[in-house]
Amino acid sequence: MKPIHAVFALLLCIAGITIFVLLSDPPPSATGVSHPTVNGMSLGGDGTEKLSSIGRAPYYFQIAVILLAGSLLYMGIPAHRRDRLLRTWFAVGLAFAIFVWISLYTGYESYLQTGQTKIVFGFPVPTNWMFWGIWGSFVAFDLFYVFTFRRYFLHPDDEAAFHQLVKDCEAERGDD
Amino acid sequence: MEEFRQPIILGFVALYMGICIWVGLWAMRRTKSAGDFFVAGRGLGPWVVSLAVFSSTLSGFGFVGGPGLVYATGLSSIWMAVCSALGFATGYYLIAKRIRMIAEVRNAMSLPDIVFARYGSEAARLLTAGTILLGVLGYLATQILAMGVVLQSILAGTEMFADISLLASVVISSTVLIFYCVTGGIVASVYTDLVQGIVMIIAGALVVITAASVFDGGFEQASSILLANDGEDVMPFGTLGAMASLSWYFLFGLGLAGQPHVATKMMMNRKLSDNQAILPMTVFGYVIAAMLWVSVGIIMRALVLGDVALPLSGADEAAPAFLSTYAHPVLAGVVFAGLFAAIMSTADGFLNIGAAAIIHDIPKAIRGRSLDNELFWARTATIVLSVVAASIALFSGQLIALLGAFGWGTFAAALVPVVLIGLNWKQASARAAIAAISVSLLINFVIQLWQIHIPYNISGGFLAMLTSMILFIAISMMEKPKPLPKDIDRILEL
Repeated sequence: MKPIHAVFALLLCIAGITIFVLLSDPPPSATGVSHPTVNGMSLGGDGTEKLSSIGRAPYYFQIAVILLAGSLLYMGIPAHRRDRLLRTWFAVGLAFAIFVWISLYTGYESYLQTGQTKIVFGFPVPTNWMFWGIWGSFVAFDLFYVFTFRRYFLHPDDEAAFHQLVKDCEAERGDD
Repeated sequence: MEEFRQPIILGFVALYMGICIWVGLWAMRRTKSAGDFFVAGRGLGPWVVSLAVFSSTLSGFGFVGGPGLVYATGLSSIWMAVCSALGFATGYYLIAKRIRMIAEVRNAMSLPDIVFARYGSEAARLLTAGTILLGVLGYLATQILAMGVVLQSILAGTEMFADISLLASVVISSTVLIFYCVTGGIVASVYTDLVQGIVMIIAGALVVITAASVFDGGFEQASSILLANDGEDVMPFGTLGAMASLSWYFLFGLGLAGQPHVATKMMMNRKLSDNQAILPMTVFGYVIAAMLWVSVGIIMRALVLGDVALPLSGADEAAPAFLSTYAHPVLAGVVFAGLFAAIMSTADGFLNIGAAAIIHDIPKAIRGRSLDNELFWARTATIVLSVVAASIALFSGQLIALLGAFGWGTFAAALVPVVLIGLNWKQASARAAIAAISVSLLINFVIQLWQIHIPYNISGGFLAMLTSMILFIAISMMEKPKPLPKDIDRILEL
């Protein structure tokens, strides 16, 4: 399967989930409720009720988005540079990103059921997964770019080929 | 020192604006051609490019609107910030190298030039330039208005300028912006971005430290107050819920690489290999500066819900109220300078790409060549664009809201498929590019014009972007692949 086919399939999955959400009947507090006394501020309302019509749609939506992001990033690496190590890294990186998301979402669901959560580093646990996990899971891809730059992103042979292309184009245009 | 708070703040802002003017004068000597004016002759080092990319991404919205959104709706909007690592990754994995290569081979000066080189279609170039111009007018108008409002609030606190009007404040701040953009073009823009980026990083770091000390128990106490009063607000999806938050993650994470004021800066580095250093510096700078967004918003919400502070008159008051009450005057001065930096660093990027659209891209698409004496007309277009945007900001009423919506979402929806996918997939076709841009503009316009309420607060920009991406790939797949020009074909192999 070519990466573009994976991208297209995942976009269709995301569109399907989005259409399902758009067609569902949103509860009154779906996007929060106005604070009774503070102007311009909203409250969350009943979190369980918010999800009553759409169930776990957000959960599957974000898994598809993570896989889509991974497929797009994979497309950015020249086809002739894609090797087994790269595929392994992408599998591990995306598995980690999905693990973070599952930890976040199940932590949030647990809070909705019990009303209890621990505070770590100043914030509730699911919020920490969002701050550091969601951000950090793609920082891992940023670091991969830095550390494997010459292997996958600008291989010396590709750089030389580009300089040759510039020379060819200049010669064709009759530049000095 | 407290009695000198306003003069200190004013002093920092004046110093910052003085630096911008000085940079403009310095850059004028280095700007000898339209190539220098629009892409800095592709001769910038990694430090300059990385700070320019991140400071252009984080506009005044991040410093004023962001804390206001957290105050109003809890952590929903933080998904726009935590997606930054993905956003910059898509930018550097997918477009940074190829856009820079095409710029060198085809001597491209703007994103529409790149689109033309890739698709060989003047219609695609014209649509890209038109999208940029529409988006720039709206974005620029809101940035200019924000600059005026902030300057007015600072000056109104002094005896001498207590009655200063919004018009006068807009004129003063816009004059500085126009001066350095006209004299030094993109060279002044990116070097002021360097200063602006540093100021924003310092401001972000210092504000987090200050915010952590407002409550004796730090952020833990703030979180406890919020959990006791509402709970949803300090959980990952805030008060707006999961679908709103996740649609923003998609739009801002995958849409960053489609922002023309960001993508254009990826054409300006001296060497392709500089990208290796630019990406981490950009990610690091952005995350430090964006900490202001979450910390100020959370603390102000906890103060109000915990009955420690009175409710604010409006959500956008969150950052100014925090600074005037809890920040040391010197810190307040640095942050207000940082706020101007955030606004101006985005606005100058818009001015540059907007001027390029007017004098370079649109004439090229219509009559096959750009204007004669491009440098002169670039400077003229910069002035005209600023004046039009300032007029829209001051006098348009409803129009600014309409054009303002033509911001991030429009750029992302129209340009992500065309640039991000198109530069990595040879089968992508010109017809698909034209359809994707047109449909995304139509969806964004219809949603905004008819004020369509989307269930679960799902972002309209996300819907437009999702539709345009699907359409782009589907149309390209249905068409018979056409051979690409040799140079573009070779670049897409690298």
